[in-house]
Amino acid sequence: MSAAAAQVADPLSDEAYIHARLADYLQAQTSRRWTLGAFTRYAVGFSWITYGFTAKEEGVEGERGLILRLGPPYGLFAPYSALPQHAALKALEATNVPVPCSYWWSDDASILGAPFFVSERVAGSAPVPWVSGSNSGFEEGYRLGIGAQFVRALAGLHTAEWRGKPGFEHDGGVTRENAALRQVEEWERNFARWTLKPYPMLTWAFRWLRQNLPVAPRVSLVHGDYRLGNFLEHDGRITAILDWELVHLGDPHEDLGWAFLPQYTGGSGLICRLLAKEDFIARYEREAGFNVDPASLQFYLVFSLVKLAVTHMAAVRCYEDGRFNDMRMPAMGTQIAPVLRQISKMLPAAEVS
Amino acid sequence: MNNSLKRMIEGMAATLRNEVIPHIGTEFARGQAFGVIYMLNSIGLRAAWSPAFVGEQIAAQIALRDALAPLLAGIDAPALPREGSPGLDVQALESLRDDNEGRICALVEWHGSANLDAQRAAAIELQFRTYMDRQLKHELQTSAKPMFAEMSSGSE
Repeated sequence: MSAAAAQVADPLSDEAYIHARLADYLQAQTSRRWTLGAFTRYAVGFSWITYGFTAKEEGVEGERGLILRLGPPYGLFAPYSALPQHAALKALEATNVPVPCSYWWSDDASILGAPFFVSERVAGSAPVPWVSGSNSGFEEGYRLGIGAQFVRALAGLHTAEWRGKPGFEHDGGVTRENAALRQVEEWERNFARWTLKPYPMLTWAFRWLRQNLPVAPRVSLVHGDYRLGNFLEHDGRITAILDWELVHLGDPHEDLGWAFLPQYTGGSGLICRLLAKEDFIARYEREAGFNVDPASLQFYLVFSLVKLAVTHMAAVRCYEDGRFNDMRMPAMGTQIAPVLRQISKMLPAAEVS
Repeated sequence: MNNSLKRMIEGMAATLRNEVIPHIGTEFARGQAFGVIYMLNSIGLRAAWSPAFVGEQIAAQIALRDALAPLLAGIDAPALPREGSPGLDVQALESLRDDNEGRICALVEWHGSANLDAQRAAAIELQFRTYMDRQLKHELQTSAKPMFAEMSSGSE
């Protein structure tokens, strides 16, 4: 299907269609009529489509802001299920991890045309990792304050109890021993699915990962994309951690490896433009109650670079197949080589006697 | 560049038509944008990725082949990269490059599980790493300065 044809035929982009069907769905769920305001489509990400709107429930005082997220069949990580995100958000309610409340979800595509969930709309804006040359960075007090909250939320996520919570009845058999291998295998599958050509450097990196699998200190909820750009901030306070589409059970070091990527330093040398590495680790160890293992962190740094390279390949593939015309996608493709270069520098050099 | 030139041009023209032109405020500027689409389509009919770029990639593969051949003499290993016949067009060169990359991936996999003496294994590994670094250096030297901050903020 050409990109133009895909876009014209896409009911998920038809706001009137989604609006009417969602109102019917909410009425069926609550046995009350709902009046929905105009939809605002947020231009974020390449995967889940995000709409914001106000909603008035019959018999309930006032309006509330809601978010609808839909996982389109042509998205970067399709096919999707809304359950992992909904289950994670529910499990994190009443913890010290700031998350939006998730109210409803379904994987039944006959309702809105794709898996979806409806959550609370939280106030705030998202600081981003990408800065222009003239940007002088965050003000000191702000970055330290946000940095402390960023670490606290991560430690809270990794120590949150998920066992026995709805949606986690089947944990997929993830253990401390196999958590790393599960992720390596998943991203090998993604690589095979998305790449347009062979990459010896990635073959080398996957080989190294398989030879250096760490044992996790515990099986935690792992966000999968924990970084600057994926939280909302308002008046110096993190109001919500967002973008849970890669959430899974695994090794907590995995989120550290991702957050520590040089791509998110904005040239500041700080983790996510917020904290020095040593400070981040010291705070995290205090909050989480266990030590960061340097070898595990190194493993997950390499793994994160591999994951980033493969994600860039997915963008190239989606653009090449005509699923999107978004120019950010081929631009992401230009970053494959720099990421592979970083992997090369991180892996031990050959020793010839 | 990782996308095909044909698809790059098609996507750029569609982005201009659907995302940019509807938001341009003056007739002249819209006309200029349609001019860009027209010229992109014209370029698409005649242009191809540079054979010099692919040629250097294949030269690196052949250098790896020449370095590995004595190290693998008498050993049952996957096939080495191959040289193309003279006069190949750029599409054929790209196919050859990708086929060779597949061969090198197979060699890397084999090297990880082959029962080689440590010295030979390390010498082969050194050739792999030299090759990969050469390819990445070439790729980076032929890439434009990234503009992600501008793409994210919409301003320069």
